[in-house]
Amino acid sequence: MNAPTPAPSPSQVSPAPVGLLAELTHRCPLRCPYCSNPLELDRRSGELDTATWLRVLTEAAGLGVLHVHLSGGEPTARNDIVEITAKCAELGLYSNLITSGVGGALQKLDALYDVGLDHVQLSVQGVDAANAERIGGLKNAQPQKMQFAARVTELGLPLTLNSVIHRGNIHEVPGFIDLAVKLGAKRLEVAHTQYYGWAYVNRAALMPDKAQVDQSIRIVEEARERLKGELVIDLVVPDYYAKYPKACAGGWGRKLMNVTPQGKVLPCHAAETIPGLEFWYVVDHSLSEIWTQSPAFAAYRGTDWMQEPCRSCDRREKDWGGCRCQAMALAGDAKATDPACSLSPLHSKMRELAGQEAAETPPDYIYRAIGTNVQNPLLEKAPL
Amino acid sequence: MTAQFPPPVADVEQRLLSPDELEAALRDIGARRYHNLHPFHQLLHDGKLNKDQVRAWALNRYYYQAMIPVKDAVVLARMQEAELRRIWRQRIVDHDGDGPGDGGIERWLKLAEGVGFERDYVLSTKGILTATKFSVDAYVHFVSEKPLMEAIASSLTEMFSPTIISERVSGMLKNYDFITKDTLAYFEKRLTQAPRDADFALDYVKRHATTPDLQRKAMAALTFKCTVLWTQLDALYFAYVAPGMIPPDAWQPGEGLVAQAPAPAVRSVAFAGGDVPRLPRGVRLRFDDVRGKHVLLAPERTFDLDDNAVAVLQLVDGQRSVSDIAGRLAETYAADRSVIEADICPMLADLAQKRVLER
Repeated sequence: MNAPTPAPSPSQVSPAPVGLLAELTHRCPLRCPYCSNPLELDRRSGELDTATWLRVLTEAAGLGVLHVHLSGGEPTARNDIVEITAKCAELGLYSNLITSGVGGALQKLDALYDVGLDHVQLSVQGVDAANAERIGGLKNAQPQKMQFAARVTELGLPLTLNSVIHRGNIHEVPGFIDLAVKLGAKRLEVAHTQYYGWAYVNRAALMPDKAQVDQSIRIVEEARERLKGELVIDLVVPDYYAKYPKACAGGWGRKLMNVTPQGKVLPCHAAETIPGLEFWYVVDHSLSEIWTQSPAFAAYRGTDWMQEPCRSCDRREKDWGGCRCQAMALAGDAKATDPACSLSPLHSKMRELAGQEAAETPPDYIYRAIGTNVQNPLLEKAPL
Repeated sequence: MTAQFPPPVADVEQRLLSPDELEAALRDIGARRYHNLHPFHQLLHDGKLNKDQVRAWALNRYYYQAMIPVKDAVVLARMQEAELRRIWRQRIVDHDGDGPGDGGIERWLKLAEGVGFERDYVLSTKGILTATKFSVDAYVHFVSEKPLMEAIASSLTEMFSPTIISERVSGMLKNYDFITKDTLAYFEKRLTQAPRDADFALDYVKRHATTPDLQRKAMAALTFKCTVLWTQLDALYFAYVAPGMIPPDAWQPGEGLVAQAPAPAVRSVAFAGGDVPRLPRGVRLRFDDVRGKHVLLAPERTFDLDDNAVAVLQLVDGQRSVSDIAGRLAETYAADRSVIEADICPMLADLAQKRVLER
């Protein structure tokens, strides 16, 4: 139990959260170098048990959560994934399985369908199998993914393909679009890499150049027009080349709660990279207590914490100052304006950095793995 | 400069003009040669250019804006009297501002950003037409080489600019949905700055062009300046309107723009009385106890619904047709069935467009 904390003022408490990102496990057969999980991955022995997850879901529904994203790692690596999904359906929670489609995923899919799974988001690392398997670090992953996708649509489940875009596959954007159509997906996410976690330490190996990014955007625009009514394409543009930052997680402590495999509750998946924040665990507190009272959720909620130029900016309640974790990583100050914002004094340096990295020969990937001791100068000092 | 620009009013005899006659002759040059008459500007103001053509204009014109204070500094350096310099230096302040984020160049950058450019790309000047650069550089050379009176006379196009600015602002706001009043903030300032500058310059020229030869040189200087502006539009027209020959290294549509997520595509799906609507798997209507209202849950999205949409969706079961649903609602609300049917068809079409309803 933590020391008592004064109750936050009413203006600091947000309306109920709408989404719960349930990182059921950090175990995953893939080793993608852009994984959003933290560098220090939770081990199986520390994972929450089934009863605790079922309680967390019940509390989430009571708190007002509508969507549950069953994620990881690979969520189907949990033996109780069917039980957890069934609980979502029982509670009326919309269940979204975010999966790699490999390992035991296909084997469990029919059971998940039967208990009421609502939606599947399948990751694809590349279109060309050899390229995809080089990126994901797993041989024979591609045929498994294709089989899995085929079964999803055969069952009549809505399928979203998620492609994380970087310099190793940006040339395949047209291929991802064709693949989504071929597999019968209703949605495709063309998501340029967000540089947190493993992606941050692999940034130089992943960063595309501006011309490639622009071209990928044009290709998506053209395909949206051509595939109206057949495929919805969501585009996540890369921060480093953007004009304004994204409202990360819809604003800190406004919409989303993220529960780690060990039961630590975060305002976003990268929040642990900000030093000094006090996170609470579901084993010690109810979700409701954590949402309304935990110091980590209160830290950057609303606009009171802001500095200039955010404080007086008329976009401050649109993008909420952008991403705190990115401000921490790049500017060395979690309260700074996200350098992704063109109003940040560091914006042009951030872009320069991206341009330089994109122009150099990419280094080898540091593949995601539990227990890796990652060495990277980026982790020692904020680069801007 | 070796090129000779012929006197613009060839039939005026070589006599000394009165100051008022000189002013009239100068104004006549503008009436016939100022760039508001150029076909490119007419297209621009009438909303006939596409977004990329407007972008090309904004980008190229930036080079002119950026060099104006350089030109004025050259003129300033040639002024022997403090009184003149005090007045002239205001032009440099107007363009450069008193600090970062201020001034005419900054406002022009805002305009370029407003039409989608990346600031750094504009600042680099690398996509600017060579013809634009030659033309603008010729202006800077002109004021450094000609006598001061002619350098000042060449600035007199400012006499004509308030007309073009008001035409431009109202035309562009009316005709282009991507142009806002903020984007055009540059011109708002120039509406008051230009006449002030022109009054001074005109007075100076009238007082110092005291021989027939000097008067013709003043007229030639203004003609030259009109040509500087005109040539820039010729180059834009040639590269980006017709025949559309963009020289190597010049800006190509799509380059130098800020990455932006485009608006989602819209598709139209019509519903008629006989159609049977249904919610596909992965889309669910439920009551949200916490917020006290119905919501429609879909992949990665939640839709808020108004009471009418809720009443309709509660009857969507994959069995009832649109007419059946209208009939049920007509009973419940004691209203005319055909009126209700006419109301709910567009609502269903809207939901189908968002991919949360099928038939």
